Amino acid sequence: MARTKKMQADGEGSSTLQTPNKKANRTPSPSPSPSAGRSREPPTPETERPAGPLSVVLTALDRDVVKVNNANATELKNACDDAVKRYLSRPELFKQIHLHTDVRLGLGWLSVFVAAGTAFYGYKVDFEKSKPVVSIGLVVYIFLTIVQTLYAYFVEGNTVFVGKRKTFSKRVSPFSHLLSVTRSSNHQIITERIHLTSSTKSASHLSQKPSVASPSNSPSYQLAVTYVRSTNGGKSLLAKGRTKAAQTYSAFFDDQGTMDQEAFERWVGELVEQGMDGKLA
Amino acid sequence: MFTEELKAFRRLGFRHVLLQVLNFASVIASGLMIWKGLGIITNSESPIVVVLSGSMEPAFYRGDLLFLTNPASERYKTGDITVYKIPGADIPIVHRVLETHDVRPKRNAAVAASVTGPNQLLLTKGDNNYVDDIELYQGLEWLERKHIVGKVRGFLPYVGYVTIAMNDFPQLKYALLGGLGLLALLQRE
Repeated sequence: MARTKKMQADGEGSSTLQTPNKKANRTPSPSPSPSAGRSREPPTPETERPAGPLSVVLTALDRDVVKVNNANATELKNACDDAVKRYLSRPELFKQIHLHTDVRLGLGWLSVFVAAGTAFYGYKVDFEKSKPVVSIGLVVYIFLTIVQTLYAYFVEGNTVFVGKRKTFSKRVSPFSHLLSVTRSSNHQIITERIHLTSSTKSASHLSQKPSVASPSNSPSYQLAVTYVRSTNGGKSLLAKGRTKAAQTYSAFFDDQGTMDQEAFERWVGELVEQGMDGKLA
Repeated sequence: MFTEELKAFRRLGFRHVLLQVLNFASVIASGLMIWKGLGIITNSESPIVVVLSGSMEPAFYRGDLLFLTNPASERYKTGDITVYKIPGADIPIVHRVLETHDVRPKRNAAVAASVTGPNQLLLTKGDNNYVDDIELYQGLEWLERKHIVGKVRGFLPYVGYVTIAMNDFPQLKYALLGGLGLLALLQRE
């Protein structure tokens, strides 16, 4: 029974700016047949999903103008990455988990202090006497640098944003009719976790003449979203989605290099909502 | 120019500022470590030096960059070009070895064992000088191995003038460091 309701929720389309948060209706339906058109049944955790990014209304005053050198692919990618982080860290949306940044900061500053200490020691003490300590310092520094590089390459990869959100949902748990529990104690905490990676794809696969500078020849920004929604402290899985999309940079940056942040945020919002709906593309 | 950058920093947050400063600091740290690593590998206190005087002409001119190594087990021979530092004098001197004498092992074995490699006594002279370096030794009769910074293995002409310029005009040094720092802080990888 629960499975068919998921199909209905997808058929209702993506939310627009003005619709309320919860999609499913409250009125319980007596008819059990799945083909009864738009029959509403009690909301279960599978159909209902918390607010997606598109339902957050943003005013134009919130933003600073972003202007980059639109011939530099690195600057374009950094501008898009920053915009993703700004967009998804809004108070109503996800809370960014800074684990990768903190690990990089910690390891980096530790290696700087090791290097500074070793150099200072070598400066103060005679060369011959300082050799053992300086050698140890050098080995520690090289080790930390290798760990940093491996972490950035394997663990962090192309990650742009890792976020978490906890929402409270006042709803009926699917097993409430089996247990003799009162309705008021059926609050559940839904935990969501989202993970975005980005990369730049070159323009060579788009057209035959990649050497001509034109908007159709622009490199593309590829964004991949992985989304997990669970409850009961991560023990029951509610939804899982993974999507990927690419769009040319020229769709978001004009010829002066000014970024059209609304269009970009709309594109990101749609992609994230696809992920939240559980698409496994 | 800076108001833009300060606004950007405030927007991006404290972590971002820490990251940018880390970029700059880690460049300096890696430079220091490369220098120290080179010193350990070559067993020399200062493996790269700049020639300051003309006492080794026509072999080396002022402004040449010299590369040194100091293997502990190597014997120095007449004709080797060495860089040495007299205790009490600040500046290392690069001259050629004129005479070498081997020190006979002392009867006290413990003392002899603390010296790694052959212990030699050396006399040096600059190619472009008329007399040997006795006057420069500040009272010593011979140079010992422990005074030697290293033996010259190779050189690059003219490159050392950058270091000479930065020593003669310290403003240049600070300007260069300041410029590098600004570049590292304002750039994103």
